[in-house]
Amino acid sequence: MNTTSDTLECGHSLAELSTYLDTGQIADPVHLETCPECQAGLASLRRLSVLGSELLSSDVADAGSGNDDWMQSILDNLRLELRPGRSIPLHSGNAQDNLWETEGSISALIRSVADALPGTAAGKCRLHGDVTTPGAGITVDVEIAVVYGHPMEERAATLRRELAEALALHTELAIDAIDITVTDVLESPATTEPGTPPSLQTPPDPADSPTTEEQP
Amino acid sequence: MTGSPAAQHQLDLVPDALLAGRAADGDTAAFEALARRHGPLMRATARRLTGSLADADDVVQETLVQAWKQLDGLRDPAAVRGWLLRIVGSRSIDHLRKRRNHADLSGVEDAVDASSGPKHEDPESNALNGSRVEALKAALAKLPEEQRRCWVLKEFNDQSYEEIAQTLNISPASVRGRLARARITLARTMEEWR
Repeated sequence: MNTTSDTLECGHSLAELSTYLDTGQIADPVHLETCPECQAGLASLRRLSVLGSELLSSDVADAGSGNDDWMQSILDNLRLELRPGRSIPLHSGNAQDNLWETEGSISALIRSVADALPGTAAGKCRLHGDVTTPGAGITVDVEIAVVYGHPMEERAATLRRELAEALALHTELAIDAIDITVTDVLESPATTEPGTPPSLQTPPDPADSPTTEEQP
Repeated sequence: MTGSPAAQHQLDLVPDALLAGRAADGDTAAFEALARRHGPLMRATARRLTGSLADADDVVQETLVQAWKQLDGLRDPAAVRGWLLRIVGSRSIDHLRKRRNHADLSGVEDAVDASSGPKHEDPESNALNGSRVEALKAALAKLPEEQRRCWVLKEFNDQSYEEIAQTLNISPASVRGRLARARITLARTMEEWR
């Protein structure tokens, strides 16, 4: 590779400066700071980098929104396979019948209960224990994100109670414990960018005051 | 299972890590929210890498198929964006290789910048910047292909030399060299343009 034309008068090369931009490392940092040639070269590479970001923004704008038809048609083509997880036996009235539900359907149930609480969204959830053996003790692990301003302990207690009810109603699992971890505190939709359409906001609370929202 | 419409919209507000965790659990709605959020960046990168509008959309679709299959192996769910872009990079390079193997198809009819024509630019403040961006597109198009790939993977996808080396199946030292060549040529062109 012919690099002579990239060698600056000070003896250093633009290639070294390019690597310095990415890694912050260069053989002679003291020289770099004081050499006008190197500083000019660095400034030129930085201007290019800024222009590269502008090209990226322009290309992303040209690509359209993720809510446009092109993405919908890609998503329609995907036909995502379901992830059923483990098979959980259900008690059946007739000894000849085998009834099962999937671990995936229980995760979906847990998510829907958590998502239904105002300002709350479920993350990962896990069933610990041998769900394939009827009566085996199971611990449920759920991660949630809560919108800022919602009292967390109260939220976790409500969710724990509602999950216990839903799991008792829809499953035969022997639930030992429900562990809830708040992994994220989300900015309230009102404080996000002003362009956010109302449809993207969390379900409205009947009262603004967070202390009264759980009242019947 | 997609839940209520309200819950669906709520997904647009939650961070990547949470969506990736749900998607790994099998929540298709969370996966689609991720796809919509990062789709434009994935499409833009694939367009710059493949140079073809149709190939780019194929790349995005293949990326999402692969991502869905491999998501539960993703170690750091918060890094899902960079992970998706690395898949976009590999799939784009695959498309370029396939296209080269079909020499008769090499003339790309839906070239990315071909039909751009007069752009919807802000006539005033953005005109100068807009035309500098156009000049950069032209300069990029003249680069040797390997250099252009390195530049796009670095500047659009923010990949490390090692990651780019893996994607392109060359050594990190070659990546460093090609990236430097690309930048020097582009910087010179743009300095003349200033």
